[in-house]
Amino acid sequence: MMKVKLKCFSQVKYALGENEINYELKEGTFTDDLEKMVRKNAKGKLDDVTLSIAVNKKYISKNMELKDGDEIALIPPVQGG
Amino acid sequence: MIVTPKELEKWSRSGKDLTVLDIRPKKQIREFPLVKLNHIKGTPDTIKNLEGEIVLICQFGIITEGMIIENNLNNTYSLLGGVQAWNDYLKENNDLSRWSRQTSLQEIGIEGQKKIMDAKIAIVGMGGLGCPAAKSLAAAGIGALNIIDGDTVELSNLHRQHLYQPRDVGKKKVNIAKKALEKISDNTKIKTFDFFLNQSNGVDCFDDVNIIIDATDNISSRRLIDQYSRRFNIPMVYGSLYKFEGQVGVFNTNGSIGYSALFPGQVSGGKTCEEAGVLGMLPSIIGNIQALEVIKLIINLKPNLIGRLLIYDGLQHTTEVIEL
Repeated sequence: MMKVKLKCFSQVKYALGENEINYELKEGTFTDDLEKMVRKNAKGKLDDVTLSIAVNKKYISKNMELKDGDEIALIPPVQGG
Repeated sequence: MIVTPKELEKWSRSGKDLTVLDIRPKKQIREFPLVKLNHIKGTPDTIKNLEGEIVLICQFGIITEGMIIENNLNNTYSLLGGVQAWNDYLKENNDLSRWSRQTSLQEIGIEGQKKIMDAKIAIVGMGGLGCPAAKSLAAAGIGALNIIDGDTVELSNLHRQHLYQPRDVGKKKVNIAKKALEKISDNTKIKTFDFFLNQSNGVDCFDDVNIIIDATDNISSRRLIDQYSRRFNIPMVYGSLYKFEGQVGVFNTNGSIGYSALFPGQVSGGKTCEEAGVLGMLPSIIGNIQALEVIKLIINLKPNLIGRLLIYDGLQHTTEVIEL
């Protein structure tokens, strides 16, 4: 098992009700797996929201395997102005 | 009391009876000599020996202004912008003393101020983000603003769109904004585009523009601005809001990625300000951060948000910067 931290922003924060969540995940978990888990936990509140992903404060454009201690940010494209 | 370089030159020409006292250290006087102005050199103590009206001079006009206030000096003026503003005024007949508090920053200086005054910025959207960004840029002395918005002022806009007043409800935003901005800065040329940006009407909006500010309120407009930004190779300063949070980034600059690359494919972003609600202070903060990034781009000041996404949380007052 490995420990990772999810940082929640905007709609993700409101959907999950937390600024940060610590997860214990199986080795070999990928960013896409974590995103699916978050969407499931959000119970439909993120169904209409696209999410970009950053790992350790760096944006990633492709699915990548997570490591112990990683910090993941799910970033929605907010649109207010 | 304050005297500008232009006023002091007028006094000097008219033979007004006054003493000009340069209180700077000798090293600074040698490095930046005060030219074409009858003056004496001394220290703050020299003032005790002088009578009549006095003009105090330091490098940026900040020390002398403080001295006058602290010591409650009568008949004493501080030269606004100091020697820096005076010498530049003589050289170019352009009084920049109004911006002395920013030109006294080493990172800006007179040369930086001139770049700001030569810059032309397009702001797409004159709502919650566009209003504060435009106000701050006009006050900073920006050369020209192209403001683009086809909307009219609504009562519900007023708590966050501070260029507009209750009497403006129903009127075109760009027309009211132009008048308000011209009151803030008479040297900023304001050009209005009374329409919503689309695929075909942006060419004139971005003609000769140095930077585009994305101050819109929907994803399709942001993608459109991203297209124009890449097509014309103009940096895009993105800003966006959700409830108590804001995002700012500088896209399509020095090889940095664009909005459409950060949020690829069919993008959906939930609710707008109208739907989700917003406190008026948040767009003011985010719009001002966008204006700050514009100034940093103009004078090439680093670090900046090129290729980075800032996320600001107005509840926690925390920031997160993501490298893109």
